[in-house]
This record gives sequence, structure tokens and C-alpha cells, in this order.
Amino acid sequence: MNFVSPIIFGIGLLLSAPFAGVAQPIISGLASSELDSNLKGLILLEEMNCVACHSSDAPFAIRSKKAPRLSEIGSRLNPAYIESFIRDPHGTKPGTTMPDLLHALDAAKRDEAAKAITHFLLSLKPNQFSLQPPDHVAAKEGERLFHSRGCVACHSPRDEAGEEMLRETSAPLGALAGKYSVRSLIEFLRNPHAVRPSGRMPDMRLQGRDAERIAHYLLKDTRVPGPLAYTLYRGQVWEGLDSDTVAAERAGQVRNFALESLGKIQHQTAITYEGWVNLPRPGSYTFFLEMNGGSLALNGKEIVREQPSNRRGPKELKGTAELQAGRRKIELTYFHTGREPRFSLEMEGPEFERQAIPPAMLSVSEEPIAAFEPVQVDADLAARGQIHFTKLGCANCHDDLQLESVPGPAFSSLASGRGCLSGENGPWPDLGLDVEQRNWISEVLPQVEALRLDDRQQIARTMVTFNCIGCHDRTGVGGIAPERDRYFTGTKPELGNQGRLPPTLSHVGAKLKPEWITEVLLRGGRQRDYLEANMPQYGEKNVGHLVELLGRVDTLEEVILPKVSNIRESKDAGYEMIGADGFSCIACHDYNGQKAGGAGALDLVNVTDRLRKNWFHLYMRDPQRFHATVIMPSYWPGGQSIRPNLLEGDPAQQIEALWNYLEDGPRAKKPKGLSRQSNELRVSDVAEICRGRGTAGFRGIGVGYPERLNLAFDSEEMALRLLWKGAFANVNHGSFQARGGDRVSFPPGIPFHRLESMDDSWPYKGKTDFTFPQDQGYQFLGYELDELRRPTFRYRYGEVSVEDFFEDVPEENGWAWFRRTFQFETPRAQEMFYFRASSGTKITRTPDGSFVIDQLELRIGSSHEGLVREGDPAEVLIPLTLPEGRSQLILEYRW
Amino acid sequence: MVSSRTFMGLLALAISPLLPAEELGEMWGTAAEEAKYYPVVNIPIPPEVPMRPGSFEILPDGRLAVGTRRGDIYFIEGAFENPPIPKYHLFASGQDEIFGLSWKDGAMTVTQFGEVTRISDLDGDEVADRYETLSNNWGYAEGHEFAFGSKHDPEGNIWVALGLSGSYKSNNLFRGWAVKVTPEGKMIPVCSGLRSPGGVGPNAEGAMLCIESQGPWNGSCSLKHLKPGGFLGHPASYNWYPFVPGMEAPSVEPNSPSRLQVEKKRVKELVPPVVRFPYIKMGRSISGFRLNQTGGKFGPFENQIFLGDYTLSVILRATTEQINGVWQGACYPFREGLATGIMNVEFSPEGQLIAGGFTTNRQWPVRGPEPFAIQRIDWNGVMPFEIREINIRKDGFVIHFTKPVDEVVASRTETYDVTTYTHNYAAGYGSPEVDHTTPRVSSVVPARDGLSVRIFLEGIVEGHIHDFTLVGMKAEDGTLLLHDKAYYTVNEIPKE
Repeated sequence: MNFVSPIIFGIGLLLSAPFAGVAQPIISGLASSELDSNLKGLILLEEMNCVACHSSDAPFAIRSKKAPRLSEIGSRLNPAYIESFIRDPHGTKPGTTMPDLLHALDAAKRDEAAKAITHFLLSLKPNQFSLQPPDHVAAKEGERLFHSRGCVACHSPRDEAGEEMLRETSAPLGALAGKYSVRSLIEFLRNPHAVRPSGRMPDMRLQGRDAERIAHYLLKDTRVPGPLAYTLYRGQVWEGLDSDTVAAERAGQVRNFALESLGKIQHQTAITYEGWVNLPRPGSYTFFLEMNGGSLALNGKEIVREQPSNRRGPKELKGTAELQAGRRKIELTYFHTGREPRFSLEMEGPEFERQAIPPAMLSVSEEPIAAFEPVQVDADLAARGQIHFTKLGCANCHDDLQLESVPGPAFSSLASGRGCLSGENGPWPDLGLDVEQRNWISEVLPQVEALRLDDRQQIARTMVTFNCIGCHDRTGVGGIAPERDRYFTGTKPELGNQGRLPPTLSHVGAKLKPEWITEVLLRGGRQRDYLEANMPQYGEKNVGHLVELLGRVDTLEEVILPKVSNIRESKDAGYEMIGADGFSCIACHDYNGQKAGGAGALDLVNVTDRLRKNWFHLYMRDPQRFHATVIMPSYWPGGQSIRPNLLEGDPAQQIEALWNYLEDGPRAKKPKGLSRQSNELRVSDVAEICRGRGTAGFRGIGVGYPERLNLAFDSEEMALRLLWKGAFANVNHGSFQARGGDRVSFPPGIPFHRLESMDDSWPYKGKTDFTFPQDQGYQFLGYELDELRRPTFRYRYGEVSVEDFFEDVPEENGWAWFRRTFQFETPRAQEMFYFRASSGTKITRTPDGSFVIDQLELRIGSSHEGLVREGDPAEVLIPLTLPEGRSQLILEYRW
Repeated sequence: MVSSRTFMGLLALAISPLLPAEELGEMWGTAAEEAKYYPVVNIPIPPEVPMRPGSFEILPDGRLAVGTRRGDIYFIEGAFENPPIPKYHLFASGQDEIFGLSWKDGAMTVTQFGEVTRISDLDGDEVADRYETLSNNWGYAEGHEFAFGSKHDPEGNIWVALGLSGSYKSNNLFRGWAVKVTPEGKMIPVCSGLRSPGGVGPNAEGAMLCIESQGPWNGSCSLKHLKPGGFLGHPASYNWYPFVPGMEAPSVEPNSPSRLQVEKKRVKELVPPVVRFPYIKMGRSISGFRLNQTGGKFGPFENQIFLGDYTLSVILRATTEQINGVWQGACYPFREGLATGIMNVEFSPEGQLIAGGFTTNRQWPVRGPEPFAIQRIDWNGVMPFEIREINIRKDGFVIHFTKPVDEVVASRTETYDVTTYTHNYAAGYGSPEVDHTTPRVSSVVPARDGLSVRIFLEGIVEGHIHDFTLVGMKAEDGTLLLHDKAYYTVNEIPKE
């Protein structure tokens, strides 16, 4: 059985329009593609969760969609919406899969039942629901994000007025402003699976403020009463609000015109206020302003205007308007700029002494807006509601409350044209199915319990259920619908469609390693950061099975891999080819996080972790086979290498060489001609160094080691300041900042010292210790690099010459560690002095003589004994008595 | 061209919202004419190279070396060819901002903000592996504490000019001083009184000079003489004398507001600026400079000093002479219309002037539009008609020209418009031009060869800039002066 028919797929799109105006359940995957009606019936059965009432042991039973969890509903949703939705789900949210369970009741009973159930649901927990005014600045950005992050693959895009344009083929949202508050919608968007465990609404992995902005956009019509609306702008505001350097930063409501009400205002800010002032009597009103610049309008008529200037202080201004009693519109723009910026507004009028306008006289709207009133739960009503809830079978689907369910006839006894499928009113739920949908179910009903899907069918089913096909094409099926195409955008126009559309999933199981599919599908792994759409997460139990299925189903012919006799030669050839003197792959592809000069195509550095080698060979030989419009050229046109001098021009050997080189990942030798423009300094096969102000004072030296350990050394005090793991550093001119994590910091001060008494403080450079540490006998002498470009720091402590070398020692499993070797040389034996290894709040000694200092484990690798000097913080000191000539101290740092 | 908007943004955010907005200043308007003698050639920079040049050096094999703000040193082959076909090689990396490069004895000595470092390649793979700190014994703990270094002097010392803390105070050791670092790594403090110095280098006679920026105690940018034991004008750095064995702090501090010619009599250590550059007319933030000793390959200005200006993206020219034991001299416009803010200059072995630098998006406005550039000014062999040099005499000046002058025009006193003025010497920021006088040109005598004119002046003013405009001055062949302006700073009037 071929479920998916590519031929009629196109027709399906054309036919999707007749759904208009009907409130049948909309499953976006079904709406946006054309499938065998058997599969449609099966999916609809699952999506309607028929097995919640009609029990079955068939495999589809466990895959059926669960209803939303209700235990927190009172904090999440507006009670008015809950009641309305229960009373009339199809009218409240056309397209919903929630059945109407009250349809058989008369209007009064219906109202009573809906209200009672609402009270029951609100009684489950204390409710925190309240309304927040939308921020139209965030909403503006939210509009862009809603349309570009991928929400509109399933939900309808909206026009400028906020009207849904593709409602008939989109997963419904209903009227959200009456349903959610800004706060509760943000919370839902950040973790939708907490409420909807079946993952049809995926976690969109919205970063930063994205969820917040989208929530403000979707709820921009929420109306909340308040005294005054404001919008705050930042930039070179003295040039006016329309200057291209000025941008709106936030908006909302505020109590009054006092600046303090807005929190801390930074210099170069502008604020526009809008509201209605309720005047007790008619007459002449005078407004007194103190401000650098701005304007004031009453009833739409400007009465004050002063050009702002960043070169002078505030001015005293005034304006008068003849006003009728009642609510009069007041619009004020204020520029917070110039010398000693301040702002005040006072009003004087008939029987109204000159004073600031009190909040009670102000309103954000001309007509009053009703405030949200939380529902006081009536215990009796709630108790009745619980009875309705169980009796009506609500608990069948909403099983998180663990209430008794009302079983319906067993699935095996169902027949088409009866009950839910009859299309008639009766003592069964009104599912809202249309004739076609009922037919799909009716058709599949007799065989569905016996139906066993093969691997391909299972993939097709999952891809429709979760609407993967809304974004991805797979062997000609699915992909972005033409009417949604324009919402898929990218940040790298040079990459063409590949830079804006989610990738095809044809052959994906033959292309990607299962580990990487798992990473992308289940752990938010992401490679194509130039796509504006995010890869949604549906949850492991919902889509995890795809990983194995794709690997089993997708096969391509096996390439005969060439025999590599000399792996070093192969890797070197790969290095040659990838760099500027070879194929110059890095001209288009990013490499190890360093941006390419041009296109910014996929980062090559972890390619071998993601791709299967067989596919790599097939693709490199003929990229066009996999993407008709691919920009990537073939370097072996007609099987002939364009670099015949490498590896005897053998294409297979050359491709293998690229693979072998790339297999070294970030530790591969840095390709020739790689851009150094990025601020992030990445470490490859050799150490990297940066110097200057930042992580370790002003004379800091940062070193990133090939084993992904990093340190910062202060060449002013010749002391280790910081250890960290992972990414190395950001550099900017002569400054650097550590990246990565797992930081261990070390106290300020010199490394070696003769303590007169164990009560003395360990010396460090204070602000006015101008000649420190030279006055302690120290002099920094620089560093030398070894073959891995790791530095040996050189300095002098009195007569002692010190060489200080950190070696990153790899560990078979887990992180590497540092072995630090001090090489001392002195013309005569030195009396005892201390090396201070570190300090910390919690220091313990282990039986083998090691120290655990907070998160650092310090082992002495030479025959020295350390001691703990108590104090706040405590210190680990190592006494050193140097003989004449050369001697060593060896330390091991693990953290 | 930087828009006034950007500039205002800068003032508002970085300095103070109260300074009046102003344009970067009039252009000289001579770029098209200058190009007929000194064309500008761009040296391409590949996109993968983060190039913010801060210093240049010529290697023994003729390659150009560039030190950058990011702390890299590139060796560039082919920069001096026509057209340039540069190949960039990264020799060293990971240093603090580099504003001084000098190659000697197979190693590059680098002045970076924190230290003077001798960098060498021990294993011969053309990539540095030894970074030897010669000295890091000055204070470096605050913003704006720049360090600019010279080439090696004849004794092998590197002279380093250390900017003030935040450009106003001296909170850390030797900020506002010039020091020299010996080949053995000994640091010798030389003189105090700097504010926010730029490049450091000698004049033709070997006197070490450095460029200073307009600001407190500095009415305009100037070339200063790093005279051992001297005080160069800004008293914030007096506090470090106790740290210099054998050097006494001046017994008095300068009064403010005053005049240099008054205060130099009170503060005997005060060394007046050698050449003052009238603000905007002759640069706004002069940076690096270099002595032209190309043996005539760069035209008629042998042994003269060429200076880059950051804000105005121009190259200026200066000459010096010692009168009564004090250095003084003149400055002249040379070339405008460079592509970016010029941070430093260098002469190539072929006698071309390399000029390069960068702009910053926030800190300071720049006329040149490019975010960074390395350019080359070539002399094409055609002799421009220019004021070559002005020298002082006890009763006037000698003005030297690059070509014989038209005897009729040169003999008229009206051709020589001379005014004088000076600056406040005061703790406030910068200075207007003050105390204007107009000395009378009593007579002029062109030399027999037409290459110079002796002018006699009634009223040379000590301590003043003498501002020359040679109205309508023509060469024998009829060409007009390429630049008819010159500015001579009179610290001393010769006794004979």
C-alpha cells in the first residue's frame, strides 16, 4: 500500500480551499497534503483519540493523541474562555479536536454544566491568572518572529490587521487574547509539552526574548485598564523620533507622567505618552512643562512644541487649551537628552490648582475597559462540575486528573454510520467531523485494528501527524506549501533556497548518522544557523522511533571505499585540498566557527560526526544528484579531479582524504587562508595565545590548548589567574575574555614569597603599589613556544630564574588535565620560600597528599609536601628550598 | 566623509553632550592637484585578514611588516610593486595592541601597550616562537594608557611615549612620561609632561621627537622634543619624579592660564613644542611620523618629517632646526584624501610613503571612509612647486622653494602675507588662537638661483606661530604653489 501519492499531492493543495467556513477538526498535516484515505482515517482516529472511549489493544491506541493537562488550567487560561470553550468548543475555537460533550443538553443546562465544570477546574489549585497589557514594541518584533521562526508552517500566517489568512488549512489558535495572558502564554511557549504531552504543539526552542515577543504579538489585542500608555525610544533622540538611529525599546502602561514610574531612564531616551484625562469642568487649562524638548497635544491639537537639543539643559514651557469637561485625549512626547535632563508636567484649570495630573484622572482609553476579575470558586458548583466532568467523559481524554472515565463501546464493536460517525445529534460527543472525515474513518474502521504499518508507512504516518511535511520535502512529498513559502527566510541570501528552506529529508537516513538525527530531532541540535526557522522538538516518545526507521528504510548504493595505505599522507592531502591553495572549500564554508568570507555555508568541522561516509562520497562526486539547484560545484567533473597532482588525481582517494582530514574535527590543522576576522579565537591542533586587558588584568596572557583546556596568566604578577574548559576566548583589539565554562579562579598575588610569619597576608599589587612586584624581586621575561605553540613563561624571582610550563595532558575518558612544571635555576641554594598554589573556602587533603580546593583537585607530582594555611580564604602553600643549580616543582591540575 | 550625526553621537556618548557640534573642518581642496605629483595607491587587504594597522617596518629582505591593534604582525610581500600584488604572511600573533615595530639583529622589537617585546623565530619556519619581554615596568592599569614606540636609536634603545590614564590623569607609574628601554631590558625614564602622545622618532639630526595631541595644557597638536630631564608641558606626571633616581622634580608647577613663553621662564625644565600644528588647518589628531631619508626618491623633501593625521586622513610635512639650543620648525600641508584614519607611516626602500590605519565606529570621527586601509603615496618624478622649507633669521625668514620662483612676483612684499598668534597654555582643553599680530614685511630678496627668498620682518614674536600665506606666488615656469600655506613656530629668535 502506498500511502502517499505524489501525483495527487499538488491537486490536494488546490482542493484544500473548500474547507472554508466549516468548523471540522483541522489536523495541519492532513490539511496540507494529500494522502491515501486509509492513512487519513487512521491519523484522524489517533488525533481524535477515539480509543479514550473505545478501548482497543491495536498499536494505534498507544499512539493516539492525549488531551491537554488540566491541573494548572486556572493559572493558564482566562476563566471566561474556559467556560465558553466547554460550552461550545467548535464555536469558540473552530477547527479544534475537542469534542462538544454538551450538545445534547438544552441551553440552560448547557450553561450550568459549563459553568460548573469551569468552577471545578478552577478549584483544582490556587489560580494566578491575571492580565498584562501587551507591549506593542515587543509585538512588532513578535510579528516577524511568528512568521519567520516556523510557527506558520502549521498555524495560519496573519495579515497586518492580525487576520488569519490560511485558517482552513492551519492548526487553529482561536481568539487568543481572550484565552491567555501574556505571562501564561510565554510560559506555555517555553514548555508546551508540560501541558500538551503528545507533542503536536512542538517546543519551538525559542531563544532569548523570542517567546515573550511572540506572546505579545499574539495577544496584542488584549485590553487592560490603566492610567497611561507609553512607548520608550532610545538612540540619538535629539534628531527626532523618525531618525534612523532611534528605535523603540519597550511599551506598556504607566501610572502617571513621573519619570520614576518608568524605572531607571538612561540618557538619550524619548518617551511618548498617550491617554485620556478626565476633566471635571470645562474651561481654559494650562499645562506647565519642564523638559529639554518634546510636544504636547490636547484633543489632537498641539499646544507645546520644543525642538530637543543635546547641547543644552531643560526649558520651562507652557501651553493653554480650551477644553470641554469629560475625557480628553492627551498626547505627550518627551526627549530625555541634553544637560541635566528632567521632566515634569503640571496642569492648572478651573477649580484645579496647578499640580501633576493624578493617576485617577487618567485612562488609557476613552471608554472604560473592564478590569479582569478572578472568579471566586463556588464549592458547591465545583462539586457539581466534578460530577459533570466524570459523567460526561471529560476524564476519558483529560486523564491527568485521574478521575473515573466513562467507557464507551469497545473499538471492535464500532461500525460506520453510527454514534459519533452518524453525523447526527445524539447521546455521544459531537466531534465536528465533516462528511469526508467521517468517510475516512468509516473506511478504515473495519481493518484498522488489524492494520500493521511497515517501516515506510510508519515514517509517513509520523511525518503527517507531526506535520514534518509542512517544512520538509521527502522524495517529492511535502515541503513548504507555496502559500507559506515566503515566510521561510534566511540570513545568508548568497546560499539561495538552501539558505532559507529546511533541508530535504529524502535519503536522510542514508545521509546522516543516527547520532546526529537523534541530536537534531530530540536534543535541539542545529547546524544551519542561517535558517530563520527553528527545528521544533516533538519529544522523544512521540518521534524518537524515526531515528531507527529512517536508518532502516533509506538506502543508497554502497561506494567501494578506497584503501588508504598512508593515513598521514591522506590527511595532508585533505588539508591541502580544503585550504586556499586547493579547492578552497573554506571560501564558502565556515570552518570551526570562523566565518567564511563569502557565502557562510555549513561549518565543515564536524561534518564527519554528522554524515555517513558512504553518502559523503556519493555527494562529493555529484552534489547535483541530491540538490538540483545546489550551489556547491563538483570538483571531480566527469570523474576527473581538478587537482590531478594530489594522490595521483584519484577521485575516491581525494574524497577519502577530505574525510580523513575532517575526521580530526576541531583539532585538524587549521586550513590555509582561513579567515581570522572573527572575534572568537578558536583553538585547532596547536595552542592559541591572546594578550591584553580582560580576564587576567591588563597584562593578561590567555592560552587555549589543543586539549580544550585554557588558562589565563597575569604577566604583571606572574601568576595563574584562571583555568577553564571548552571554547577559548573572544578577542577585541588588545583585550580578551574567556569563553567556555568550568572556571577555576586563583587569588590575586605573586606566586612565590617568603612569609615572615604565618599570620602575614600574601602580597598582591594594590592600586598604589606602583613598583610591585619588581620591588619583590620579580621581573617578567616573556615566553617561548614549543612545537604545539604552548608557552613556557619565563620570569625571575630574586636570584631564581623560573620557567613555568603548562602541558595539557589528554585523558582516555573525559577531560584532559594540566601538568605544570616549574624549572628553577639559581646560582646558590635558596632559603625556604613558599609557592602559593591556590586558595579557597573549602580545602581538603586526600590521603595521597593531594588537595581538593573547592572544585579544583591539585596533586603534587614532585617530591614536595604542601600544607594548608587556615584563613579566609585558606591557602595551599608548598614550601620550597632550592638547591644550587636546577630543580623542579611539578603540579597537576584537574577540575 | 563622516556625517555630523555620527560625530554628534560620539560627543554625546563618549565625551560630553555639551560641546558644540562641528564639522571635521574645511578640506584644503588640493587633492586633485596633489595627485599629479603624488598619486595614492591602495594596497589590497584580503578579506580573511583582520587588518587594523598601527605600525610599520621594512624587513631586511624588503618586505613590509605591519603590526596591528589585534596584536598580529604580518609580513607582506609585493606591497611596493606596481600595481601592488601583496601576499600576507602571519609572523606573530596574540599580542596586545601594537604601536611600534623595529627590526634589528634578526628580531622584531615590538612596542605593545603593556611592554616592549623582542620577537624572534628560532626554528626558521617564519613564525615567531620566542617572545622576550624587554621591559614591562611602567604602570598599565586603566583605559587610554597607550604606548607608542620608536625604532631603535643608534644605541639600540627603544623610546616609548606613555599616554596619561584616561588621557587626563597619571594614576599609574610613568604615565605621561617618555622612557627608553635598552637592549638589555633596562627602562630609563627620560622626561615628563606628555598627555596623549602618538608616534615617536628622530629628526635628521637624531633628536628624539614625539607627537602630542591637543587637549589640556596643549593648545594644539605638536611635535615635542623628548629632551632628557625635560618637562613637556602637562604637569599631571610630576608625581613620578621620586621614582627616578637622579632626577629632580621641577620646583614649580606651571600657572594656568598662561603662555608657554611666559611659563618656560618660570619652569626651567619646560621644553616648548618644536612645531605646533594649528588645529584643523593642520590636522586634528596627528599620529605616527617618519623621517624621509630616501635619498631623493620621494621628491624634494629629503630629511623632512612626514606625519599622518587620524581624523582628517591627511599627510603633513614638518622641518626642524635648532636655535639657541632649542628645537623649533615649521609645518606644511602635503597630501589629503587618504582612505581612512591614518595611524602610522613608513618609507619603503623604493622611496614610497606607506600610510595606514583604521577608523573606530564609536570612539572618534574620521574623514576617510574606509574602516581600515594600507595605502602608498608614490612620487611620480614630476617636481611640484612647493614651499620646501622655512628657516628663521634674526630679522626674518628664508623661504626655500622646490623650483625657481618668478622673480617679479617673488620680489613683491604683498606676496608674503604673515600673521602670528599663539595658544593659551592652560589646564583647560585645547585653545583658540590668541594674541594675533601682523608683522610688517619690510622687504624681500629672491636669491639669485630663484630657489629661495629672504624676507625681512618687523616684529617677529617669540612664542608665536608665524602663519604664512604666499598669495599668488608663481614659479618661473608659471605654475602656482601647490600649497601656499606654511606655519613656523618661533620658540627662539636667533641672536645673530
